[in-house]
Amino acid sequence: MASAAGPGGEIRPDAYRKASGQARYVADLSLPGMLHAAVVRSPLPHARITGVDASAALAVPGVAGVFTAADVTPRPYGRAVRDVPVLAAGRVRFTGERVAAVVAGTRRAAAAAAALVEVSYEELPAVLTAAEAITPEAPPVHDAPWDYRGAAVSAADGRNLQSRVVHGSAAEASAALGRADHVVDRVYTTPSGHQGYLEPQACLAAAGPGRVRIWATNKSPYRLRGQLAECLGLDPAAVEVEPVPLGGDFGGKGSPMDIPLCAELSRLTGQPVKLVLSYGEDLTATNPRHPARIRVQAGCDRDGRLIALSVRALLNGGAYAGFKPLATAGLHGIEDAALAYDIPAVFIESLIAYTHTVPRGHMRSPGSPQANFAVESALDELAAAAGLDPVSFRQRNLARAGGPGGHGREWAEARGSQTLAAAVARAGQQPAAVPPGWRHGTGVAVYAREAPPIRGTSVRLEPGPGDTVRVGVPIPETGTGNHAVVRNLLAAELGISPGQVEVVQLATSELPADPGVGGSRVTVGMAAALIRAAQAWRDRAGDGPVLAGTGADGTDQADGADGTPAVVSYCAQAATVAVDPGTGQVAVLDLTTAVDVGRIVSPRAHQMQIDGGAVMGYGFACLEDLLEEDGQLMAANLGEFKIPSAADIPPLRTVLVTGGQGVTSAGVKPVGELANVPVAAAVANAVAAATGCRIRDLPVTAERVYWALRGEAPAAQVQRP
Amino acid sequence: MKLSFTLNGEPVAADVAPDELLVEVIRGLGLTGTKQGCGVGVCGLCTVLVGDRPVSSCLYLAACAEGEQVWTAEGLARAEPALIRAFAEQEGMQCGICTPGQVVTAAALAREHPAATDAELRHHQAGTLCRCTGYQTIFAAVRAYLDSR
Repeated sequence: MASAAGPGGEIRPDAYRKASGQARYVADLSLPGMLHAAVVRSPLPHARITGVDASAALAVPGVAGVFTAADVTPRPYGRAVRDVPVLAAGRVRFTGERVAAVVAGTRRAAAAAAALVEVSYEELPAVLTAAEAITPEAPPVHDAPWDYRGAAVSAADGRNLQSRVVHGSAAEASAALGRADHVVDRVYTTPSGHQGYLEPQACLAAAGPGRVRIWATNKSPYRLRGQLAECLGLDPAAVEVEPVPLGGDFGGKGSPMDIPLCAELSRLTGQPVKLVLSYGEDLTATNPRHPARIRVQAGCDRDGRLIALSVRALLNGGAYAGFKPLATAGLHGIEDAALAYDIPAVFIESLIAYTHTVPRGHMRSPGSPQANFAVESALDELAAAAGLDPVSFRQRNLARAGGPGGHGREWAEARGSQTLAAAVARAGQQPAAVPPGWRHGTGVAVYAREAPPIRGTSVRLEPGPGDTVRVGVPIPETGTGNHAVVRNLLAAELGISPGQVEVVQLATSELPADPGVGGSRVTVGMAAALIRAAQAWRDRAGDGPVLAGTGADGTDQADGADGTPAVVSYCAQAATVAVDPGTGQVAVLDLTTAVDVGRIVSPRAHQMQIDGGAVMGYGFACLEDLLEEDGQLMAANLGEFKIPSAADIPPLRTVLVTGGQGVTSAGVKPVGELANVPVAAAVANAVAAATGCRIRDLPVTAERVYWALRGEAPAAQVQRP
Repeated sequence: MKLSFTLNGEPVAADVAPDELLVEVIRGLGLTGTKQGCGVGVCGLCTVLVGDRPVSSCLYLAACAEGEQVWTAEGLARAEPALIRAFAEQEGMQCGICTPGQVVTAAALAREHPAATDAELRHHQAGTLCRCTGYQTIFAAVRAYLDSR
């Protein structure tokens, strides 16, 4: 057990509060006069709203009002594409869409009244898969999606397109594939999944004349302020997003979600209003992961050198694009497919379609789990075709130090080879205890991720009581331990003990701006800002004691373009599985993760990013599927949508490949979005090694393996993407 | 209907609806450490002790607590500080939303089976989900607590 003393070994500042039930999250907050909201949702994927009868709901004691689109701002909102209506106006576009909202004195009364709102619909033809949606005959989900503010498509694009991103030349990749000695051409699919944060989405809004205060399960307070101001027609300074910790995020809490509605309900009733979703609403009606269909064509020469790769991904984006933050409305993990490798000709196409299903958003390393499963499975299939073992095939093709990085980029270093070797060596140390009659095998997969550009994070240092420094940060504690990271980094910069640093999240009026939590940017961005703030603080302290500083602000480089090559982190995983040929059951006997690391600021929090990531990856590989049926997500509770419990998880092993060159003088590398990514391909590759059967559709369930062992497709084919 | 029970060692008298859930009553008293997650008795966030048994208070009618001794994380923090210290020192948490449920579940294990093996410990905690940590530090926290007694 590590010592509790010293940098990185300190107890996290919120530990006692959280363990003793004293930590207050959004759902735990109350304001005087506060009312509660409940949402009336569409039972149909596509329909015209022909009437709303609220009379029975209004008769419920304690109901303050029932509101529809006619009552709220008509301006749609979103992160990049502003296409999400506060309440559905005229027609609904997915099962679960908000049609009306009820406000009442208690949560129970609001929910009871919401069930009594009678909405009449005229059902319309719905398009439920991306493949159907982009055909010319498909019903349009939006009449003119290119007209929305921030739209990533134009009228010249095909029907129902949210996003189209292309890298490289299809013709060059195709020509190179034609010259290859060995080629595979395969299609892989991944299901709808959910971030599975355990705190339901929640918002408390208090609107006053021309202003509003917000407490919300949102990890990007400054961006939320801008999104709300635009939607509600307010000056950004009139929107105050207040500090509050989050009960898990994993990408699901970056969207404005129901927050504009909650703000409007507070304005309409003149009282503070709290809206806490039921978990069923979270699973079926927020912003889950994009299901994907990915065609991979890969070719190598007779020596096993990759010469061409083509990745064509088609993803279901659901009814609205507004819960994705990139200007392209794409997922960077698709664009970065196979970034680990040095391949002369790479073509990548990512299409995201509008459908009449729940809008999709970001989930931990968005796009990467899908793309990595496809590419890393295909590479094993290609290695087999070339007669090479999967490890040495990858070692021949990983981007090398001194050469170009993946996709021809310039990198500070490339440590994929060591990282893969470390995973394989460690996994080999553990002899597998295979049940009698079961088959076993080991599979590997590799992922490379660039550190994000540093941009626009600010912190504020002030003297605290006694011998302490208080550092104000713009980001909520989402759970990762980011406030402890700030504490430890600042203590090291100032040469004081972590116990002398107090970290507080400030409201949005306090600091200039911040992009929020996400994209693995917190540790690197905070480090850059803290280094500057600490420098300014020390300059003011002069020759006196460092704690005599009188206040200092630090902002990192807003453009992030300091001309240095990108820092990349590799993660390699090896999974050993046993498969029961009688039932198809797959047991993961060992999951080893090797991570290419720089300086580690909070060792246990760092390890939990790896362990928690590996467990989440295991869920994606073997368990999780929201099960779409006729546009409805059938796994509507946590009993049906099974995330890994303590009893489900495989034994986890970690190798830290130390000595990596990190970002800034702090020398840190991001770690939060690595270990969740390669698990699925490692497991599928292990199942193939064990049985000779290739599973190309996730999750790797007993049923899929059972039928594959018998050379047949599963009885019921799933709808996807 | 009238309900009387003991909450964290203190007598409580409340007027509750027949279908009111124990989690609603406890949170309504301002003790918000007991969280509401899945609402269907799967995630374990709302776990409280009724007597020595861990129950999902989102499925437990408040009326059933009549005359019972009920404990939440807030009360255990006072009565069993070593339990909270173990979770803090082993960093058995990240976002913290499941932590009160993990703490209460661990307290039940200490009552039911204080000599639990590591495998039994993992099985026992399996009713309380965590999406953040990968569970290893939670296991370490529960182990440290059992060993400290």
